[in-house]
Amino acid sequence: MKHSVNRPPTPDGAEDQGNEPILQEIIKIKLIESGEKERLMEMLRERLIECGWKDEMKALCRAYVKKKGRNNVTVDDLVHLITPKGRASVRDSVKAELLQRIRSFLTSAAL
Amino acid sequence: MSGPNEDNNTQLSSHIFGDLLDSIIVDVASECHRIAKLGLDRNLEEEEEEMRLSAQARARVADPSNSSETNTKYVVDIFGQTHPSVATEIFECMNCGRSIAAGRFAPHLEKCMGKGRKARLKVTRSSTAAQNRYLRGSPVSTYSPYSNSTSTNRLSNGTPSVAGEEYSNGTYEEPWNKT
Repeated sequence: MKHSVNRPPTPDGAEDQGNEPILQEIIKIKLIESGEKERLMEMLRERLIECGWKDEMKALCRAYVKKKGRNNVTVDDLVHLITPKGRASVRDSVKAELLQRIRSFLTSAAL
Repeated sequence: MSGPNEDNNTQLSSHIFGDLLDSIIVDVASECHRIAKLGLDRNLEEEEEEMRLSAQARARVADPSNSSETNTKYVVDIFGQTHPSVATEIFECMNCGRSIAAGRFAPHLEKCMGKGRKARLKVTRSSTAAQNRYLRGSPVSTYSPYSNSTSTNRLSNGTPSVAGEEYSNGTYEEPWNKT
């Protein structure tokens, strides 16, 4: 018999959380399937461009590239460079707006 | 809405928001990487080169040896070039066909087409019409009457000829007006 048939069942994540992880996954799938994720992404992108966040990030990248030299830079480098600063510098109003949208989707989808 | 659900919702929302933000960050990083590799952004080395050149030019302008613009014969402009005081480009005079330097062209034309005594000898019947057209619009200038000219256009008594090329005492007369 194939080893895979006798595979023990996938653990349920942390038992005390109930089926939260699975719920999470379901929600995420719903998000993508309904197209809401795309809409949220576009909205977030737009807001970030409007408030200059994207330009700040690009400036950081440019400075880094200038320092390191054009040919020594990888995408990974830039991602690691931008992620902490990027997460911290999102404007509060933008974040609030997006969270609101997501929350209302969750409540409507959970029903 | 029960309490725990609210918290979970909030937590989930933040988690989803974090995912979205991460995706966008990767997009931006990828875009910047592409621009850097392809050199599409205003080239960084070029920028430095330009800055260096402009700093050089600025230093030259501020140089005390070039304090007054009319000081030396050779004036240095902002690009560091010097121009000789007499323009040196050479081309052909359309009247006499000689090679003339640009800076000497005006005086040459004066002699070639206008007031020079020797120039008169070059005038032929066929070119008088062209010269009429040229001279009619020109300002009045004082010419001494040419009484000893041997040109066939001249009347022997020295009055303005039919061609209207001569002026006496600064009075301009139409060719067909005889005083």
